Amino acid sequence: MFLITLLSDNIAREAKNGRDTHHMKTKLLIAMLAMVSVFAVAFSACTDDSGPTDADLQNAQATASAAQSALSDANARADAAEARADEANKMAEDAKMMADEAMMEDTGGRLAQVQDRGHVICASRNDVPGYGSLDDAGRNVGFDIDLCRALATAVLGDPEAIEIQYITAAERGPTIQSGEVDMLVRTVTWTTSRDAQWGNYAQTMFYDGQGFMVPADLGVTSAYELDGAAVCVTSGTTTELNMADFFRQNEFEYNPNVFEDTDVVLDAYESGQCDVFTNDRSQLAALRTALPNPDDHVILPETISEEPLGPVVPHGDDQWFDIVKTVMSGLIYAEAYGINSGNVSSVAAGDNAKAKRLLGAEGTIGQEALGLDATFMQDVIEAVGNYGEIYDRNLGPDGIDLPRENGRNALWSNAPCTDCPKGGQIYAAPLR
Amino acid sequence: MQSILYPGGIPLWRNVVFIQWVVQIISAIVVIAIVSGFIFNVANEIQDREIPFGFSFLDEAAQIPIGESVIDYDPSESYLYGFTVAALNTVKASVLGVVLATMLGIIIGVSRLSSNWLLSRLALVYIDTFRNIPLLIQLLFWFLIILELPNVREGYVFFDAFYLNNSGFYLPWATPLGGFWPWAILTAVGILAAIVAYNVLNRREIETGKSSYPIIAGFIIIFVVTIIGLIIFTPLELVVPERQEGPFGRLQGGARWSGSFFALLIGLVVYTSAFIAEIVRAGIQAVNRGQTEAARSLGLNTNNSLRFVIFPQALRVIIPPLISQYLNLTKNSSLAAAIGYPDLVSVSTTMTQIAPAISLIGMVMVTYLAMSLFYSLVGNIYNRITRYAGVG
Repeated sequence: MFLITLLSDNIAREAKNGRDTHHMKTKLLIAMLAMVSVFAVAFSACTDDSGPTDADLQNAQATASAAQSALSDANARADAAEARADEANKMAEDAKMMADEAMMEDTGGRLAQVQDRGHVICASRNDVPGYGSLDDAGRNVGFDIDLCRALATAVLGDPEAIEIQYITAAERGPTIQSGEVDMLVRTVTWTTSRDAQWGNYAQTMFYDGQGFMVPADLGVTSAYELDGAAVCVTSGTTTELNMADFFRQNEFEYNPNVFEDTDVVLDAYESGQCDVFTNDRSQLAALRTALPNPDDHVILPETISEEPLGPVVPHGDDQWFDIVKTVMSGLIYAEAYGINSGNVSSVAAGDNAKAKRLLGAEGTIGQEALGLDATFMQDVIEAVGNYGEIYDRNLGPDGIDLPRENGRNALWSNAPCTDCPKGGQIYAAPLR
Repeated sequence: MQSILYPGGIPLWRNVVFIQWVVQIISAIVVIAIVSGFIFNVANEIQDREIPFGFSFLDEAAQIPIGESVIDYDPSESYLYGFTVAALNTVKASVLGVVLATMLGIIIGVSRLSSNWLLSRLALVYIDTFRNIPLLIQLLFWFLIILELPNVREGYVFFDAFYLNNSGFYLPWATPLGGFWPWAILTAVGILAAIVAYNVLNRREIETGKSSYPIIAGFIIIFVVTIIGLIIFTPLELVVPERQEGPFGRLQGGARWSGSFFALLIGLVVYTSAFIAEIVRAGIQAVNRGQTEAARSLGLNTNNSLRFVIFPQALRVIIPPLISQYLNLTKNSSLAAAIGYPDLVSVSTTMTQIAPAISLIGMVMVTYLAMSLFYSLVGNIYNRITRYAGVG
């Protein structure tokens, strides 16, 4: 317990305050091991072991029988899995329709469930500054987290009515498929097979692309010079597959090093076990700022993939899907119409017809059909701000400082706002 | 028979046979209900949530990278092949781990019983330390230690052929050429001949008492046959790792034992050997002290009495729990994903990007089960051979 606490403290601290080098971590571990050894010596000096034969024998037998039961357990599980396969195949179309109907009737939809429960459950992360991390007070912050807060405000009126489940990249699919969370916002790239298998993608909230980071002293200036490199990557991501495609297309030799945790990937990269770290460019930028000497690392100019990121909702509930889409649209158009957390009430009382419609002061954007309050967007913007505010707070000047001007993540070219960044691809279904 | 308590005969609810049957039937019904409830629930959920399921993906190209493999791998190979590569990586870690952990465990277990105070205390500290720290933390510890080695461009080089750095250990390796199989067959024949020669000479030594050097003779036969085969067939080519051109200076050719693999192997061996040491100690102490005394009074020294008298008897106590440690080691190797070794769990996690997760997890479960059952089988056969005749 003690060791785990120490280790997790260390990791949490790194996530918050920028990272120590892996040297620190190793030293810490060595120190811990030394302490434990001292403890063991002290312990062994205190205990005598004159005649433990019987106890040991019993122990050994207990171990053996435990293993036996574990084995039979595994056996049973394998049988169950087999039976499951048969069952799933047998289920015909009509059975499926009946099940669908039954589900609609007895659950009453996810909106009702969430309102009953009193909070929105989002699957997200706490390990990448800007997207999802913990602040000094231990509060969940980040771009993805704010989207969850916006949704919570829309359906419950309270930005704090959220429960964040921290999951690894590889857990995203099963988590959203099982429907155990209301929304998945964990830098999830929208791909067709994920859309078909995982859940419904509501709206692209950030346009990203995969890039490569290398130590500056290698003198590499282009991704097309990466022949023969060892590449570090996190498992269970599109990044991993894009990397394989890129090197295969260019007929480059490479050595993939695949890790579960972003922390370990960074350790391996820092130590030079691999020469290249590949990830979405924005995450590379965020993680680069966390390295001891950010200037010693360069992000290569090439972008090898398209990575539209956004929230995902479970399959099977159209109303919930529409609610999430509308909230995301609302955030984007709020920026376009110049509505921010500071001026919501004055705009609602003003004379801009489109803005008033968005805020529910006049006309409708479909609140009734969605089952939401007419003025839900007022609460949302008051609580978390518009798209631009969320971006600036987490990814922009107040966060990890990714430039938005002239990038894909500015609003569309002829957005009606006066001083917002334009010329990008952020665009959503009009609120009408 | 007329009962005093129940003059009219024993009623049904007091009838032992009847009660036993009822309990059996009720238990069976409960078990069936729970299991089928579980199955139907899962089947329904799969259906309702449209979770993909099936095995048709196995023929498709996997398109995923695997960092190291026992057999050649390329991302254009099928999922099934990729899965096999990953399974072989697990087998490699598991088999090497089992062998090394057994050797180390026996040494430490015997040291634990040594009359040398320092040695036995050191063994105790070793056991208590490594048995009581979670394996995942130990793996990360060894991995971070290996990362402390210089990188591939600055690492250690021995004889221009062996390279040690934080990417792993690179060494010259023989790749098979056309003449490999004839050579392999010839060598196999040579080994058989050596075994026969060993048995013949060994029997002669026992029967006549003349020194016949059976072990030396066996090795000479193997050595001569192998060399002759090498000269005739040229079956192998020694490939020395070479530094590639370009900024990365990676090494190519020969064999590579990656840093992640070393960290995994060291972690598994150290952790498991602590348990095995205790099992060995328990086994030795389970042998009656009279056996040691009898052996010593026959004139056997400490080593020989341990080797010929104590250990064979201790084995029948040691083997069953030892097998369960082998199974643990195999299953624990699934923690490799944390330190970047492409084992079964790590690779199949990557595969769930596109392939259905439930099918893959089912396959992973079956594979581990098969491996574990195989170890059990081998262990049980060995157990049957070593146990006393007429016992159990």
